Amino acid sequence: MSFNPYDNNGGTCVAIAGSDYCVVAADTRMSTGYSILTRDYSKICKLADTAILASSGFQADVKALQKVLSARHLTYQHQHNKQMSCPAMAQLLSNTLYYKRFFPYYAFNVLGGLDSEGKGCVFTYDAVGSYERVGYSSQGSGSTLIIPVLDNQLKSPSPLLLPAKDAVTPLLEAEAVDLVKDVFASAAERDIYTGDRVEIVIVNKSGIRREYVELRKD
Amino acid sequence: MDLNLNMNMNAPHSMGTTIIGVTYCDGVILGADSRTSTGMYVANRASDKITQLTDNIYLCRSGSAADSQAVSDYARLSLELHEIQQGRPATVKAASNIVRNLSYNNKNRLQTGMIVGGWDKYEGGKIYAVPLGGTIIEQPFAIGGSGSSYLYGFFDQAWKENMTKEEAEINSEGATKNFYPGDTLPLWHEELESHNSLLEIISSVSPVPMST
Amino acid sequence: MSKSTVDVPQRGGFSFDLCRRNEMLEGKGLKPQIYRKTGTTIVGLVFQDGIILGADTRATEGPIVADKNCEKIHYMAPNIYCCGAGTAADTEAVTDMVSSQLLLHRYATGRESRVGTALTLLKTHLFGYQGHVSAALVLGGVDITGPHLYTIYPHGSTDRLAFATMGSGSLAAMAMFETKYKEGLTRDEGINLVCEAVCSGIFNDLGSGSNVDVCVITKGHKEYLRNYQLPNPRTYVSSKGYSFAKGQTEVLSTKITPLKNNLVVVAEGEAMEE
Repeated sequence: MSFNPYDNNGGTCVAIAGSDYCVVAADTRMSTGYSILTRDYSKICKLADTAILASSGFQADVKALQKVLSARHLTYQHQHNKQMSCPAMAQLLSNTLYYKRFFPYYAFNVLGGLDSEGKGCVFTYDAVGSYERVGYSSQGSGSTLIIPVLDNQLKSPSPLLLPAKDAVTPLLEAEAVDLVKDVFASAAERDIYTGDRVEIVIVNKSGIRREYVELRKD
Repeated sequence: MDLNLNMNMNAPHSMGTTIIGVTYCDGVILGADSRTSTGMYVANRASDKITQLTDNIYLCRSGSAADSQAVSDYARLSLELHEIQQGRPATVKAASNIVRNLSYNNKNRLQTGMIVGGWDKYEGGKIYAVPLGGTIIEQPFAIGGSGSSYLYGFFDQAWKENMTKEEAEINSEGATKNFYPGDTLPLWHEELESHNSLLEIISSVSPVPMST
Repeated sequence: MSKSTVDVPQRGGFSFDLCRRNEMLEGKGLKPQIYRKTGTTIVGLVFQDGIILGADTRATEGPIVADKNCEKIHYMAPNIYCCGAGTAADTEAVTDMVSSQLLLHRYATGRESRVGTALTLLKTHLFGYQGHVSAALVLGGVDITGPHLYTIYPHGSTDRLAFATMGSGSLAAMAMFETKYKEGLTRDEGINLVCEAVCSGIFNDLGSGSNVDVCVITKGHKEYLRNYQLPNPRTYVSSKGYSFAKGQTEVLSTKITPLKNNLVVVAEGEAMEE
């Protein structure tokens, strides 16, 4: 048996962008194989005031990635005397992931926040840095269960359409938060790696707010 | 990263086993531990590895639990028929030959070593070892299973011909003085005196002659 | 050659027709079929009047829950039940097969089935297939000789025990049994301990989940307590319902082909004579 440097700790991340808010959510279960390592692990990391990262996959790699991004953000603040914007952080995350193209971070990221105009933005990634700005996204073990529901409820215009249309969802903030709670409760019903609790971070012009909702514990 | 390297619960049941069969002046004594494991998990901590074949013949099982149970089930069936046909109890030799035939004829499919022990009125107490390939060896004492490698030295030193039951049996006298409960097991280094150098050890201790 | 060999109908057992083909395809890199495994917690214990069996109700296919409320305690005979873990199809088939053999045996002998009979039938079948029939079972029942509890592994080895656990949650469940089991439990104590053991598997093993099924077997009587506990209700329901607007799937073109009247009924034939 050869050494395998990766593990999958499961978990699901969701982000929804609205016209003046962004909701980023992830469950708090961390597991390996058939065992739960902890029921209270936050997959959400605040990188800047308006850039929130939610990551599932291999949490050791995620921690390493968060550390790199935090360090880069600190030097950015020293050099520019301001916080990074969410789109800037999105590009930095892509570069950081692609830097390890041939020994990737096993991390599946969703970055949410507000852009320079105060509009909600969501960026979704693969493990080696391909990314895209979208209106909503889900990554991780329960993403296949959640994406079709979001597609149905928040159907966004095709990015290929001309003239380009706004990707943000038409829902109100409270409606989006309610939808997130419901899709996580549903994902926990059918995905064994999603459960215990969902942590929801809401970014809007008045700042950052956190909410927790209990999920199935089996 | 597979942290459960040895926790393969799908592994076939096997008995990391110590089994012993000893003849003494009046018959035989069989011994076995009681652990059945799958990988690192103890599936049964009270298993019975000494299986009855007939009234006067028993079988110690080691290796794959499924294989050894199947062999002993078939052996018991054959012996029951044999006793009915012959109208008298089976001899240990006959029983062990049945076990050997099963073991030898299916050697490619079986992972089990066994010790047959018993008493009959023709030859008295007998021990037959039937190890992996299906050979048969009549022995005054036999040891088997993965734990047996730790016993060869001890048995070569402790076994005597025509022991009394008390001598042969594991109790507080004789052979048993080397057996301890797990929680009071003395550590070997606690019995040693400290020395300054290896040379001191070699020069001071005269070798103890090996006793028979 | 002779055509008759092809035409002989199968007389029972498995068909191995496609094994060589699958072996060849797997050699070329085809992923082998994944079967529905019941990542499971099943348990059983002996109490003062008989046997109590317990099981969770989750069936999984990889990381997905295939069935949130399946039955894992199978009927063998009126006085014998059997919990199954492993490949769902195998546990189902093997228990069904043996239970029908037991029924025929009861018709032939006119006597109540014995647990030992069921045990032997199960273990010889499983041993014959050398572990390829992946059924891990906890067999329990009360017969003329008293209460019996056994575990049976896919390779055909069996253990006779006072308390037993099986499946991916067996370690979590066994932890409860090893700390709390004692001889001569009452019915209520026994059911509570079984529930605790199954819940331990449900909450700590990801392969197990949902509800607790219990089966109590005593001399001449049994009680199948389906969904005895429901410890995992849905945690959140949206305050408003959802509307699924029509036309989410875009219709690109429509073509209507009318069915032709192919069938022509003609009144013909001679009139019946008296």
